[in-house]
Amino acid sequence: MSRNTISEVIKLKRRLYIELLRLVKTGKLVEEISNLSQKMITKESPRYRCCEFKERAIFDQRIKAVMGFNIASNKDKSLEELAESLPRQEKKRNIVEVIDTACDSCPIDKYIVTDACRNCVAHKCVNACPVNAIVIIQNKAYIDQDKCVECGKCAGACSYNAILENQRPCSRACELDAISSDSNRQAKIDREKCVSCGSCITACPFGAITETGDLIQVALELFSEKNSLAAMLAPSFVGQFGYQQSPAKIKYALKKLGFEEVREVAAGAEITAAAESKELKEKIMEEKTLLSSCCPAFKRMVLNEFESLSCLISNTDSPMAVTAKKIKNENNKLKTIFIGPCTAKKEEALQNENVDYVITFEELLALFTAHNINLAAIEKGEKLEDAGVLGRQFAYAGGLQKSLQELVTDNYNSKQIDGLGRLKKELYLIKAKKNNYNFLEGMACVGGCIGGPSAMISEKAAKKLVQNFADSN
Amino acid sequence: MPKNTLKICIGTPCHLMGASELLESIAELDQSLRDKIDLKTSHCIDDCCEQAPVVEFNGKIYQDLNPEKLYKIIRNNIR
Ligand code: FES
Repeated sequence: MSRNTISEVIKLKRRLYIELLRLVKTGKLVEEISNLSQKMITKESPRYRCCEFKERAIFDQRIKAVMGFNIASNKDKSLEELAESLPRQEKKRNIVEVIDTACDSCPIDKYIVTDACRNCVAHKCVNACPVNAIVIIQNKAYIDQDKCVECGKCAGACSYNAILENQRPCSRACELDAISSDSNRQAKIDREKCVSCGSCITACPFGAITETGDLIQVALELFSEKNSLAAMLAPSFVGQFGYQQSPAKIKYALKKLGFEEVREVAAGAEITAAAESKELKEKIMEEKTLLSSCCPAFKRMVLNEFESLSCLISNTDSPMAVTAKKIKNENNKLKTIFIGPCTAKKEEALQNENVDYVITFEELLALFTAHNINLAAIEKGEKLEDAGVLGRQFAYAGGLQKSLQELVTDNYNSKQIDGLGRLKKELYLIKAKKNNYNFLEGMACVGGCIGGPSAMISEKAAKKLVQNFADSN
Repeated sequence: MPKNTLKICIGTPCHLMGASELLESIAELDQSLRDKIDLKTSHCIDDCCEQAPVVEFNGKIYQDLNPEKLYKIIRNNIR
């Protein structure tokens, strides 16, 4: 998934993070939360809907998601009520969610009649339409978009292929066809197919799809609950916190923010790689194929759609899981917070008792900003050297494959694929036993984790920085 | 010698709002324009963080930018 330019919608979301965090900091979250939309959305703010009132109603839904609540199931609860119940570490929730009111009749029409319409006598389109949405005006068919339910029957019926399907950004971005629209033309996520990769969130130009997050709870744990927290930095963290910000500086800044421990997940990745190399050796002997398991979105896709291949998935714990377990073993009072570019990790954490929270790079940057910690102005640092190259290179596509090549010297073939669409095709080949390798590294995001939905810098720049850091230890 | 100075703020608030995009966009600038600009970075420009990202071009401060806006500013003000 390539990084989109930072749109007004993204900026607004990030400003919301900062404002909410400032309220946490001053202890006024519950008191002030219901005034926030009025304060932040004014007549002058950029607008996508009819009026600022609707814009604010949508914004309130967004606030719920940022606080970690599913929107649909908390429709009737007030913001105060919800804020009051935090922190609560809810493990049962959807990560990716549509904000109904924002998506409500997406302005992008799904079916349009092109000039290829010949005004044939048959009017197959008119007859095919179940809701009488097609009218003939001046010899040409028109779709009444208020009536259209996007069933697509007209497009199929037209003998001249004159009706085009215009895929919405969200469903185009979803490589697993998990997004359809319901009769109100709202996007609907098929939970059996969704792997929480986050592509649709990035793709929707209206910010109508969002993720439920842990950011506010983490801030509460830090500042009002005064719990001891351990930060676990994903291998892809290098360079994500600003131009020329070294890992040592980031560790120092996290401690300054109040984290007691700061760890590289790359250290866990080394353990993952070692365990996976043992599994691989077995698979080579059995002449079978091992599928990597560290990318939760890839793993979930295999489980969802290729049940018969699920026995090929590596049983090894992911680097995040290994790291969290280690921290809890050392001190079970510490709460563990994974910091990464990934929405699917949020999903993985829901099923892992050792990972308490997951936040993204952008969420952590908001946390720094709200606490007036400017990394660029910090001169000090604290050495971060938990891991070596075998773990650190997990951050980019091909890194895990490389680490295994170092660890397993037997004669075998392996393959690396990034991107869910391409992976899905490859899995069909494996299912048909048409593959000639013993190991497949699968990363849902193009480029690997550095191409994740919450990455802050370009993939190319990130790869270089990760490689430099990996080689430095 | 470049006659123009562009200072891009790389402070945390500006990074969060897209400073790295601005830096990348400068790398993609037409070489003829790029040669006329001396590129610097800054930790914070005049405490303008609420309107991030911020740059200073030839002494004047511009706020709430994106690559497109920045190109325009450069094209209109280059000496
Ligand atoms: S950090 Fe960029 S203006 Fe203050």
